[in-house]
Amino acid sequence: MTRYYDQVDMGDELASVEKEVSDQMVLDFCDVWSSGGGASRFTDHEIAKKEGLPGAIVPGIMSMNYMAQFLAGWADGGQLKKLDVVFRQPVQHPQTISFVGVITDKNQVAGENQVECDVYIQNAYGDRLVGGKATVVLPGRK
Amino acid sequence: MYVDMHCHSVSSDDSRATVEQYLKWIQVLRKRGQQVDAIVLTEHRKFDAEHDYSALSSQYGVVVLKGSELDTRYGHFLVYGANQRLQRSFDFTDTKLDSVALMQEAKECGAIAIPAHPGRFGIGFCEYVDKGPDFSDVGIVELLNGGSRRGENERAEELVGKKSFLGTGGSDAHFVSAIGTCLTEFPQNIRNEQELVEALLAKEFRAVRLEETNHH
Repeated sequence: MTRYYDQVDMGDELASVEKEVSDQMVLDFCDVWSSGGGASRFTDHEIAKKEGLPGAIVPGIMSMNYMAQFLAGWADGGQLKKLDVVFRQPVQHPQTISFVGVITDKNQVAGENQVECDVYIQNAYGDRLVGGKATVVLPGRK
Repeated sequence: MYVDMHCHSVSSDDSRATVEQYLKWIQVLRKRGQQVDAIVLTEHRKFDAEHDYSALSSQYGVVVLKGSELDTRYGHFLVYGANQRLQRSFDFTDTKLDSVALMQEAKECGAIAIPAHPGRFGIGFCEYVDKGPDFSDVGIVELLNGGSRRGENERAEELVGKKSFLGTGGSDAHFVSAIGTCLTEFPQNIRNEQELVEALLAKEFRAVRLEETNHH
């Protein structure tokens, strides 16, 4: 159902979404992303540990992709204009992560209905692993 | 008075929030019955002397103070009352500052330096307190840090209990909606950085979470 600009306000939370990220999902992503670039800290737990990581991690671009999917799903009928991400902690896999967000501002800019959001990827303990600031454009009512 | 003693604006490289966005968000918190009266911008490895936030402060009714978060050999330190003398004495961009010298010099020039997020695994003051140099100048640490992972504030609490330190609270916000999540409650009004240092030295404060400020 289309989400309209006049339906949202500062302080509104975006409905959270959970996602189970498996080793296979990261392997599949890396197959496409790095054109079969071989084992790496993203796909091999032992290589990751040798690099000082606790285990294999989700590539940053993949986390960002999931975050964009979360925002695009929320902004049904709108579009994601900008997403600026800060990687605070590595996202290990396999694990279930959740996406949470909140509207921090809304403004009409150059004819666009812009909504600013803070968005986070959290682990099961609520630790915020990745943070982002997004600008979403929502439709107005005709 | 409730003061967020630790936050970062876009003047820090890893923050995505402007000062005005923080102040607008505090109006949202106030509508919910929560109270944030002042924030201290503690930018990473710098003192932001160039920006004047007095107009925004008046517009939104929030006191905006400035401090710094500096990198030392023994963890990050929050500096309050960072005046020109202190800025001349140390290269704030140095990531291996001598924390003992920093605390001493801060004391001598009317400022104060305290360990930030001491419970942070691997890099917090807890890792060094009994291994490094003489930290007898430490009397206050950041007890509640809004950016902490599970277990880190608990480590800080244990440190405070064990060493009889006093504890402050700060959100460590890097994004708009994180401002004010942890605060320090003072009995008096604080209008500038000097009064903040005096209030800390008076030792009458406590760390609180945002929810505790809701009196509605």
